[in-house]
Amino acid sequence: MNNSVNRRSFLKTATAASLSSLIPMQYALSKDALNGKTLVVLELSGGNDGLNTIIPYADDNYYKHRPNIGIRENKLLKIDDYFGFNPGIVGLESLYKEGNMAIIHGCGYDNPSFSHFTSMAYMHTAAPNSGEEYGWLGRLADHMAPPTHKNFIINIDKTQSLAVRSQKHVPIVFDQPQRFQREGFFVQKSILESVINANNVINNNTAQNFLNEIASSANEASSVISEAWSNYSRRVDYGLTPIDLDKIAALIEADVPARLYYTSFRDNAFDTHVHQPNLHKRLLTYASDAIRGFMNDLDRMGKSQDVVLLVMTEFGRRVPENTSLGTDHGSAGPMFIIGASVKGGHYGEIPDLVNGLDDGDNLKYTTDFRSVYATLIDKWLKVDSKSILRKNFQTFDIFDRTV
Amino acid sequence: MSKNLILISILIVLFSFNAFAKETNNWKGIINPIEQEDWSIAKASHLLERAGFGGTPEEIKFIYNLGHILAVEHLVNYEKLPTKHLLRFEESNIHDPGLINFPPSRPATTKLAKETGEALGIKVKESGNRKMQPIVNKFFFWLRASRLETQRVAYWWANRMVNSPRPLEEKMTLFWHNHFATNETKVRDYRKLLLQNETFRLHATGNFKELLIAVAKDPAMLYFLDAGQNVKGAPNENFAREIMELFTLGVGNYEEKDIREAARAFTGWNTNDLEFIVNKDKHDSGQKTILSHTGNFTGEEVIDILLDQDAAAIFIVKKIYKEFVNEEVNNIIIDQYAKILKSNNYQLKPLLKTIFLSKDFYSTENIGSHIKSPIELVVSTYKKLGLNKSPGIPDFNQATTAMGQTLFWPPTVAGWAGGSSWITPALLMERGNFARSFLYPDIDFIPKDFYSPDPKIIVMHDAIRNGSDITNATKSSNGGESVMMMAEGNMMADRDEDFNTRYGSYRGWQMAVSKVKPIPRHAAEINFTKMIIDSGAHNTEEAVDYLINRFLTVKINNKKRIMIISFLEENLGTNNIIDAKSYLEDSIRMVVHLIMSQPEYQLG
Repeated sequence: MNNSVNRRSFLKTATAASLSSLIPMQYALSKDALNGKTLVVLELSGGNDGLNTIIPYADDNYYKHRPNIGIRENKLLKIDDYFGFNPGIVGLESLYKEGNMAIIHGCGYDNPSFSHFTSMAYMHTAAPNSGEEYGWLGRLADHMAPPTHKNFIINIDKTQSLAVRSQKHVPIVFDQPQRFQREGFFVQKSILESVINANNVINNNTAQNFLNEIASSANEASSVISEAWSNYSRRVDYGLTPIDLDKIAALIEADVPARLYYTSFRDNAFDTHVHQPNLHKRLLTYASDAIRGFMNDLDRMGKSQDVVLLVMTEFGRRVPENTSLGTDHGSAGPMFIIGASVKGGHYGEIPDLVNGLDDGDNLKYTTDFRSVYATLIDKWLKVDSKSILRKNFQTFDIFDRTV
Repeated sequence: MSKNLILISILIVLFSFNAFAKETNNWKGIINPIEQEDWSIAKASHLLERAGFGGTPEEIKFIYNLGHILAVEHLVNYEKLPTKHLLRFEESNIHDPGLINFPPSRPATTKLAKETGEALGIKVKESGNRKMQPIVNKFFFWLRASRLETQRVAYWWANRMVNSPRPLEEKMTLFWHNHFATNETKVRDYRKLLLQNETFRLHATGNFKELLIAVAKDPAMLYFLDAGQNVKGAPNENFAREIMELFTLGVGNYEEKDIREAARAFTGWNTNDLEFIVNKDKHDSGQKTILSHTGNFTGEEVIDILLDQDAAAIFIVKKIYKEFVNEEVNNIIIDQYAKILKSNNYQLKPLLKTIFLSKDFYSTENIGSHIKSPIELVVSTYKKLGLNKSPGIPDFNQATTAMGQTLFWPPTVAGWAGGSSWITPALLMERGNFARSFLYPDIDFIPKDFYSPDPKIIVMHDAIRNGSDITNATKSSNGGESVMMMAEGNMMADRDEDFNTRYGSYRGWQMAVSKVKPIPRHAAEINFTKMIIDSGAHNTEEAVDYLINRFLTVKINNKKRIMIISFLEENLGTNNIIDAKSYLEDSIRMVVHLIMSQPEYQLG
């Protein structure tokens, strides 16, 4: 532990001292997608209620909109004289206090969709109100690394997220490391697991070669992942539900060559239409404990400078509470970028709870969510974000800790 | 068919199969037709794989015997083939007039109820607690019921794919479902999706322009792309954007202002339940300029303008080529096919016939080059096994969903990405696991379509059944409360409220499962012993080769083949099939599972 802390502070000093000379070098290296930086995305599915996550307690309008479920000033975890955290997120509060958590306010897009499915697809593709076959992380991978760079994207889920769908890469998608395997009788095992390269086939069938490649990477990934998982032991507290961040930590510790990770708090958990307060608080506690644990784990393994975590959701919730002590689908909400390389604090314009609402009582966005993606792409991964997002977006100086 | 005939046809299959592995032709890019002397069992098999979902050796033999011209004729001009034995979808009795113009959300429903005293055909109660509860219950009932019924429609369609004598009709219906992707989650009305499916089938290989107009007037599509909000003065661009970007031209062949102007031409297009209507007073009949054409265009005229672009024919042809020939396209052949489509005024049959007769289609590079979608994989598996319907275990929808595709639930308006995106390492393993799931049906199978996927509902169910009031049942369904919170909760036991959403969700689920007809849950009945004995195979090598030829278009390499042969021999304790006849079944099942787990099995 001591070692990694020392390393961390050394790196911080080194970065501060020679920032300008380091960046071009890293950029040159990033041609091979190996600037050493890793991005982890955590999706809070169901539409997290941003207003009850980061609470503008100093704004009376908040309590007017939420007479019953508004969180009182004396219950919340104060950040400053305007905002407070939901009382459930002690873990995030500590990260914020350490200066490692950036809150980007009012993230959304034009003509918001109130469908989980549609809005999430927009977030996944970074293409609101239009169709895009591949996910933003998939396109990023296509741009960053050749397909020969195996296991570049890892998506922990039952099915592949649209966010990681890639034209050239094969995202490793699995749910439970111990179940990422073929079902079969014991006697069949050796044949099921053997992949014989089809190189000696006379006709040059690219699809067949591709499938054999996947089959071998499936077997490899399956063994890499189960090996990483069995070598890993959870030595920090992730709280009650690690939301698969421990699996990601295991893979990072095992030096799996992935640079992009995707996981989610699944099954529309944050869809808090009824009796929201305790439920929402509990969900946030799970998420926040897991994030805190993940960051501690990265520290433990001396990798905290190399990894940042983006926390996103498909939409915020309606500003006024509903009649069932809950909230309905809304629009804009905050996103978080967390990590030891992050310059913590507030970014983006804070939405106005009076003039910043549309006819349906939803927040008008103040930050295009793609600005957050662009910030990560340009400034963390050092890739030109325009080639991924099709347009230039404003970016934030989130990783410049010297300013 | 007599045993001898079968044996001969198998020998032919084997022979041409082996020949295929060595043969290469230089036909890629040539759209001229093949000659009768080029025709072979392997090519007939390829045609049936692509213009349909493959078939048994007997079905392939039938196509082969027709000769190449009549074979293509048989598959493309299928209207003469009777489909009377294919039953219409048998609806559950779940819809009633109160559900017409179903509000877009639960809040919209209760708002309507508050304002008018009624919603979904149910009145708000005069007094008492939860005056709107029956309305909220019905709201959730319809969400669940439509979803379950749509899964039944998907099953019905899957059975058609397996059993129709017109496989191309179903394949093109599937193609259009992907091209004009519409998702139940937003449409929330199985009737509209069924209607759309019938529209796709009606125009499957007809005229693309007529299809496009039908789709533009299709209730599911209009609803899916927010037509109701596209009105004069405040156009919604959703439909106009998709028709250009995804249906006809593709990005780069229009500008944003073309979308804005086209949206105006489609203003007022709407549905009255299952009927297309134009709200004249909401239609903007002013002058518009679209792709350099100016006039006071209607929606139909915009479609004319779009299809008049060369980019449109190229766009459609490219998509068809990718699906039916090869993911990798070359522009020269696409241009040639686009000319054929356009010169035939967007009639699809001349194009399809040209493709299916072309040397390019049968070129070495294009045979076995197609990665099957999960739907194709499951349907072709059942067809190759000679089944005439999908088993109930495994569930068709669950099986394809696990592999990444669900009928009526394409992930976005862009449809399924297809090609190599079907395959991830875990999904490839899942495909092998699918084969196992019908060879060895789960004995603890649960028809998940009838159970709430939301554990909160199950907790609520238990609490209500045990006499809890709705408020406390809702609370416990949130996962229980701390002692302190519980005390607070008890103070306000059974709140006075207009309705409880969670209870509505729970009660709606119950109402839905009481009305939606169940999906039959039979396991697949396949006699592999008979299949092998009838094949005439005498030894393990012949048996394995028979199965490889029956199931694989692209051959596994010889090392693997030998591994499987020795596996079978070891398992049977002999290499003599006839000696092992009485206990052949399970060993053959394991071999079939091994063959279907090969990467090559994904190709057609």
